[in-house]
Amino acid sequence: MLSCKELVAHSSEYIDGQMKLRRRLSVRMHLAMCVNCRRFIKQLRLSQAVLRRLPRGQSAESDELAAKLAEVHRQQH
Amino acid sequence: MDYPADQILLARLRVSEQKAYRELVATYQGAMRAVAFAIVGSRNADEVVQDAWLAVVRNLDGFQGRSSLKTWLLTITANTAKTRLKGNRREVLLDDIPSPHGTVGDERFHGDGHWLLAPHAWHHDSPEALLTEEELRECLERTLASLSELQGSVLHLREREGLELDEICNLLQVSLSNVRVLLHRARLKVFATLEHFEETGQC
Repeated sequence: MLSCKELVAHSSEYIDGQMKLRRRLSVRMHLAMCVNCRRFIKQLRLSQAVLRRLPRGQSAESDELAAKLAEVHRQQH
Repeated sequence: MDYPADQILLARLRVSEQKAYRELVATYQGAMRAVAFAIVGSRNADEVVQDAWLAVVRNLDGFQGRSSLKTWLLTITANTAKTRLKGNRREVLLDDIPSPHGTVGDERFHGDGHWLLAPHAWHHDSPEALLTEEELRECLERTLASLSELQGSVLHLREREGLELDEICNLLQVSLSNVRVLLHRARLKVFATLEHFEETGQC
C-alpha cells in the first residue's frame, strides 16, 4: 500500500490529473482512510488557488507599452 | 475559426484600437515574461518581451488564427528568447535553491513513510481569506522570488496562466519529467510558506 510519504511525492501528478488509473485508485484508497493526507491534499489545492488569485501588478508601464504598440501598428498601414 | 473570443479581439487590434492593445498587454504580458525569464534569465527578459511584442504587432495582420492567440504569442516569445540565446542554452538545473520556509521534506515522515509531523488544520480555508492577510502576500512574494528563474516560470505558467504541462515543455524545451519535478518542488515550497504562516501568524 501507498505510504503517506509516497502520496506526498506524487501529489502534484494527482492534482494535475496526470496519474494512471491504477495509481490514482491507490491514492483514492489511501485518502479514504488517512485524514492527514486528505488535509495535505486539500491544503495543497488551497495553496494552488491562492497563487491563482494573487493580484497581478497592473502598471502604468503596460499602458505605455499598449499605446506604443497601437502606434506601431497604425504606422504600418 | 476555433477561437471566437480571439477573433473579436484580433479584429479590434487590426484597426489599431488602443483599448484592445491594453487588453492584450494586460492579459498576456505576465505569461510572456515568464517564458522569457525561463529561457534567457531575468537580465535579458524585458528586452526579449519588448522584441516579441514588436514581432507580434508586425505579424498581426497575417495571423491566421490556427492556434489560440495565447499559444501564438508565447511561441513568438519563446522563439525570440531562443534567438537571443544563440545556442548558449543554459542547463536545466533541478538542484533546489533553499526557500525561506523550506519544503515538505523527509523529516516530516517516520521511517515507514507515515506522517511524523502531519499538517495542522489551517485557520483560513479559502484563498480570499488567506489573501486578506497583507503580510502573507508579502511572504508569498518572497518565496516566489526565491525560486530559480526556470522554476518560478514553470510555476507561474501552470498555476497562474493555466498552461498544460506539455505546452510548458514545448515552449521552454524542457522534458516533461523535469517540468514535473520543478513544479512539484515549487508547490511544496509555497505550501510550506502558507503552512508556516498559518502556524505562527508571521512570515
